[in-house]
Parts: sequence; structure tokens; C-alpha cells
Amino acid sequence: MITKKIQEYASSLLADQVVDCVIGYEVGPRRTTRPIFVDQQADTDRLVWNQNCSHNLTVYLRQKLNDTEGRIGIVVKPCDSKTINVLGAENRIDRDRLHIIGIECEGILEGNVKQNADSGELQRRCLACDLTEPLDMDYMIGGSIERKNLPDNSTSNKLSRWLEKATADDRLEYWLSEFDRCIRCYACRQACPLCDCPTCLFEREDSIWTGSSATTKDNRSFHLGRAFHLAGRCIGCGECQRACPMDINLGELNRVLAREMEEQFHHRAGYTVELSPITTILGEGR
Amino acid sequence: MFEPKIIAFLCTWCSYTGADLAGTSRKSSPWNIRAIRTPCSGRVAPELIIKAFSEGADGVLVLGCHIGECHYDSGNHRTAKRIPLLSSLLTITGLEPERLRLDWVSASEGVRFSQIAQEFTETVRELGPCKWNAPDLFFATQPEIVEATETKVEVGS
Repeated sequence: MITKKIQEYASSLLADQVVDCVIGYEVGPRRTTRPIFVDQQADTDRLVWNQNCSHNLTVYLRQKLNDTEGRIGIVVKPCDSKTINVLGAENRIDRDRLHIIGIECEGILEGNVKQNADSGELQRRCLACDLTEPLDMDYMIGGSIERKNLPDNSTSNKLSRWLEKATADDRLEYWLSEFDRCIRCYACRQACPLCDCPTCLFEREDSIWTGSSATTKDNRSFHLGRAFHLAGRCIGCGECQRACPMDINLGELNRVLAREMEEQFHHRAGYTVELSPITTILGEGR
Repeated sequence: MFEPKIIAFLCTWCSYTGADLAGTSRKSSPWNIRAIRTPCSGRVAPELIIKAFSEGADGVLVLGCHIGECHYDSGNHRTAKRIPLLSSLLTITGLEPERLRLDWVSASEGVRFSQIAQEFTETVRELGPCKWNAPDLFFATQPEIVEATETKVEVGS
């Protein structure tokens, strides 16, 4: 039903020339979905919405806005709208050139690009999610569901609780074994909608001091650095971990920093159009 | 007795001058401190601190100007926000939070520099050697790669 509404609305947007292109989801192989860029009215019937639509489509926004002069329509889940807020606060995108199609969301199913999404379990971020509709949109589709507070019994949550209680040595061993697997393919960086410096710090010609080899030490420096660059900006879409071919637990680093940002700075990324507090100066009270 | 290796990032305007003053006024500070002069404490990128620990430092000390006295107006504001956050990130990945310390020392506070340096050295000494600098698991068995010698290009030839 939502699929049909998206198709109709995208079709009308393209017919009225409100937007040049609509970014949405289409059916991919093995019961997955994949991003699609629709710029002709005839293609709008390829658009789809279901609980496998895990991608954060905002990652394509900057490139697409640079390529065209006109406006861009984008299908946005509630969580993805937080990215738009962060990008807007950082002046990376022009909100006026976007036409946001908001979708009500019941949660996205577990599963990643490498396997079918048929476990029937919601993703961890969805269990903790408190949004049913996007924070910012031009047109809303659906919007009648109620969010239930669901218990989080995922393995990933058990691991997080274990890490909190583990000794420093155990934590070090755990993280070294995670970082040791990294092959430095930078898929995590490419999949992240907020990790888009024109030249990455870890790939600059003068970046010898950050360490760019695929050794455990340099991998650790890369992953901690990457997580730190996203402090107060990461909205927890989990695309980095989903894109990782070596299944490194990147989400945990992001969650730790998000928790610290909330404790130390009372800041939750993306809920308002606001810069990360660590990029601003100290306030009156501090 | 265990002698810790401590890297101190000192802001050139305040803390480095403060350390200098400690020396000229004959205040002793432990030799464990290896001072690195930076333009501002805001220049101390988190990657530099991670690198220092990865390369075998037992402790990292970051000293800057007091809040409100930054030569660049707000450089130390950023340090003040970054370091506590970095500390919690390093803690979750297996480092003792006491090994990273941020403090403020002005150019006239030679005595304070010497005090902080001694205090911090003692703290790190009690913690013992840092395990963060773990051997490289994957490449441990690989032979050392001999660096290729550069061919000299003579100017004018």
C-alpha cells in the first residue's frame, strides 16, 4: 500500500517537474532492496517499500545535488531524516533543494547485504528507535502506527553489556581481534552519509602519522579516528557495520560515543538542526 | 623501578613556556616527560594521542592555556571538549583512563608544570607498563621489510 503511494506520488512529482530525480528503493536480488535513482516517469513503478529497506539513502544526496541544478526527491525513513538535520546544520546540503518523502516505519528487519533478511527479527537500532515518522518532510506517507517499546535481546546488546563490565585487558583483546580483521577497504567510510571529507584524513599523502597500512595498530588508529570524527554527528543508522565485509563491530564504537555525547553534552545527534557540540566553543555555564 | 614513557603535548604559548620557566627557576620535573611543542592544544588531534599510545607511550599529557587565555581565542575550548570524549572512547577499547590527562598551565606557572609532571608520572608509574601497545597479531610472523635506499638526484647534473 505504501509502495503504491510512493509510486503515485513520485510519478506526480516527476510529471509536474517539481523534482529532477527521486531517490528510492527497488527490489534487489535475494529478497534485498537496493537504491534506485528515478528520473523518468516510466520508471516509477520500480519503486518499492518494505521492511528490508535498510539503506540510508541520504548518502547519495551530496553527489546528486552537485550533479543537477534542480530539486531532488528522496524517500526517507524516520531515522534517515536525522542525517538530513545533521547535514543541514553543517551546511553540506541545501534543504530548499530537497523534496523529502517521509515514510512511516515499523522497523527494519535484521539481515545484511550478504544474507537474506528472513530472520524476522528487527534490527537493534529499530528496537531502540523512538520515531515513527521523520522529523522533517515535505510529504508524509502513512503515519498511523504506534511505536511499542520492545525488549532488546539481541546478541549485539548482550555483547555491549559484557563490554561494559569486562576488564580493561578483556576489552583490549576483544577490540584488537576486531580491528585485526580490517582489510582497509573503506566500505564503512563510503557507506556513511556523514563521512564525506573531500580527501579523507587517512588517505592524504601527508598522513603518515595517522598510519595507513592494514596492520592491527593502524587499523585501530583508523577505526577510533573514524568513530571520533562522527562523535555527536553519528545518528546510528548502522550502515558502516552493514557494509563491512569483515563484520567488525563498528556500531558499538558509535554507540559508546553517542552515549558519552548524551552524558557529557546532553546532545543527541540529528534530533534538531544543530552542530555537534565538540565543534563549537564552550558555553557560558562551562 | 618502572620508568614510564610519557609524551606531553605542550601549547607553545603557555605550557611550553611554563615548562621553560620551570627549568630556568630550577624546579625539577621528571625526565620521563617527553615534551612535544604544538602551536595550540587544539592542534592535538585525537589521532596524535592514539598514535602516541600505539607507538609505546605509557601516558599522554596534554597541557594548554587556561580557558579564556587561548592565543587563538577558542582553540583550547575544543581541547576541553575533545579530550574527555576521547578518554571514554579509549577506555572502552581497553586503556586505563588515568593514562590520558588534560590540564591547563599558563606561561607563568612553572611550579604548577613541575607539580603536574611529577603527579602524572607517579600515577602512570603505579599503573605499570601500558598494554595498549600490543604486538601486531597478524603481521607478528612476517619478516621485517628492509627500507629501499633512496637514489640521490644531484642538482645540476
